[in-house]
Amino acid sequence: MKILVFIKQVADSEARIIISADHKSLEIENKYTLNFFDEFAVEEAIRIKEKFKDSQITVCTFGAKRSIEALRTTIAMGADRAFLIDNTQYPSENPMVVATILARFAQQEGFDIILCGRQAMDDENAQLGSMIAELLSIPHISAIMKLEIIGDKKVRVENEIEGGRATIEVTLPALFTTQKGLNEPRVPLITGVMKAMKATIPVIDPLTLGLTKEELDSYAAMMHLFSYEPPPSRPPVKIIEGETPEEKVNKLIKILKEDAKVL
Amino acid sequence: MDFKLTEEQEFFKKTVTDTIDRIVTPRAQEIDEKDEFPWDVWKEFTKLGYIGLRYPEEIGGMNADKIMCMIFYEEIARASVGFAQSVIMNILMGTYFLFRFGSDAIKERCLYPAMRGEKIATICFTEDQSGSDLGATRTTAVKDGNGWRINGTKMWITNGPICDFCTVLATTDPSKGLKGLNFFLVEKGTEGFSSGQIINKLGCRGTVTGELVFDNVWVPDENFLGEELGKGVVYVGDILDEVRLMTGAMALGIAKGAYNEALEYSRKRIAFGQPIGNYQLIREKFAEMDTLMNAARLLLYYGSWLLENKMDCRVVAAESKMFATEVCLKVVDELTRIYGANAFAYEYTPQRYFRDARFLLYGGGTHEVLKDFIGRSLIGKL
Repeated sequence: MKILVFIKQVADSEARIIISADHKSLEIENKYTLNFFDEFAVEEAIRIKEKFKDSQITVCTFGAKRSIEALRTTIAMGADRAFLIDNTQYPSENPMVVATILARFAQQEGFDIILCGRQAMDDENAQLGSMIAELLSIPHISAIMKLEIIGDKKVRVENEIEGGRATIEVTLPALFTTQKGLNEPRVPLITGVMKAMKATIPVIDPLTLGLTKEELDSYAAMMHLFSYEPPPSRPPVKIIEGETPEEKVNKLIKILKEDAKVL
Repeated sequence: MDFKLTEEQEFFKKTVTDTIDRIVTPRAQEIDEKDEFPWDVWKEFTKLGYIGLRYPEEIGGMNADKIMCMIFYEEIARASVGFAQSVIMNILMGTYFLFRFGSDAIKERCLYPAMRGEKIATICFTEDQSGSDLGATRTTAVKDGNGWRINGTKMWITNGPICDFCTVLATTDPSKGLKGLNFFLVEKGTEGFSSGQIINKLGCRGTVTGELVFDNVWVPDENFLGEELGKGVVYVGDILDEVRLMTGAMALGIAKGAYNEALEYSRKRIAFGQPIGNYQLIREKFAEMDTLMNAARLLLYYGSWLLENKMDCRVVAAESKMFATEVCLKVVDELTRIYGANAFAYEYTPQRYFRDARFLLYGGGTHEVLKDFIGRSLIGKL
């Protein structure tokens, strides 16, 4: 079983992020981590390999050189090998550009299953999985909560739908995006950390994947980032005064009815 | 000169930080409040293999270089120095002499299980009348048949009351002073070996520290840990620099934890209509703290680099421990000032850093003893 996992290194949730003066770019504190939803993808790949020993887990990302750290984390967890498609020469975050590059990598590498997080925690686009599947003309199930290999080239998955779960059988090759609840990502053992530290991670120029700059430019031109804006600042906290708890609750109910109009 | 961590060391640092923040940090306050050894955290953490950090890969270790060891010590102390003390005791002092001198049977019985976290290790130096002054050690080991008869009481033993085995410093000839000192392995269950009073400590709570009593304890010759009699003090010297650097790393860890708390608080705490981090007197504190912590870390890494390259680091190791600890005390003090009155309340974290930092004044040598040693080394024999 050839398993491909696409990941992204994103800003840590505790990193300080400042919007530039022209609102066109972000200054991010140097704290990065493996995307939260991608951890489930890596873990699921490892669990498949634990059942089907001859499986091979290949992890890949399109990103900056620093993304090697996130790739090493996946090797520490149990992935077999990892590749960085370096975005230095083509630093686009346009989902269609990234999907095109990763789909081309998948075509060259070969695969039975592709796993990736349901969305990145930074841009929250949630587009990459479906785009890659479409470009590869394979089935795509989003936000899976359970995955079971039920036969040669057949997988049964469950995903969350409004008010319940759906069970779906899919013929491989297929792409699945992963959701919280699918598994509990493991903490790397020190043996994994050592393996990851020693691992050689090949760096690939995206333009060596049979893609032309013109093709990527045409996709990049489809979208234009207009500006970044911070979320509106929260209104000040209102302290409800009162002699007794009953008095305070009555005042609260009045405010919720008359001012907030939520009751 | 290259001051940069290698990409591998950076990755190690990130992984260790993430792992500790997942397993230890969320439990730190509880560990301190309960002041009980956190067995569940211990089991979850030690199964990852970090206890073998500094031992060869062939025996299940990681063969980490000294810089990586310091990174680890700093990060785990940042999270919970109470838990860190127990872990580091197993990693370094508690297993050092078994790895170096233990027979295959001893390694199978004690060292390897300790590296897996299945056994708790400790080392016994201190007595009621001897700490830095090892020549005053009164615990005796007397030859008795095919073994040794040990008598004495050890104090301030980290992990002591819960240990499965300990390395004991005892004198085989009190008339020889330091040259009479030797190390012996004593295992739990040996007749006459028991745990005495548990110390109710100001800080580093969660680590169980106490008295160990050796009442006519007999151990076989195999348990003598050394090449020849009388070299115990030489062996102490062999590990002392690493212990002092490790203590410096722990001090930096506490300082870093306190600094991070201060930073977060100064960004959130509003006074006179704006975050207190906007005020110059608060900013000045961060400028000073960061400068001092950077200086302490450079000295620590320099000492570790000397140690890694088998160069003389006795003075630098002592300076590093002393300086990092003083920096730590300064940073935790500033944290309590930035936090204001909330620092005085047990429900907030500054008081924990404040209490924990005090222990480092004594562990690894008091600063009075260290300063005397450094000064004597620099001036030379007159």
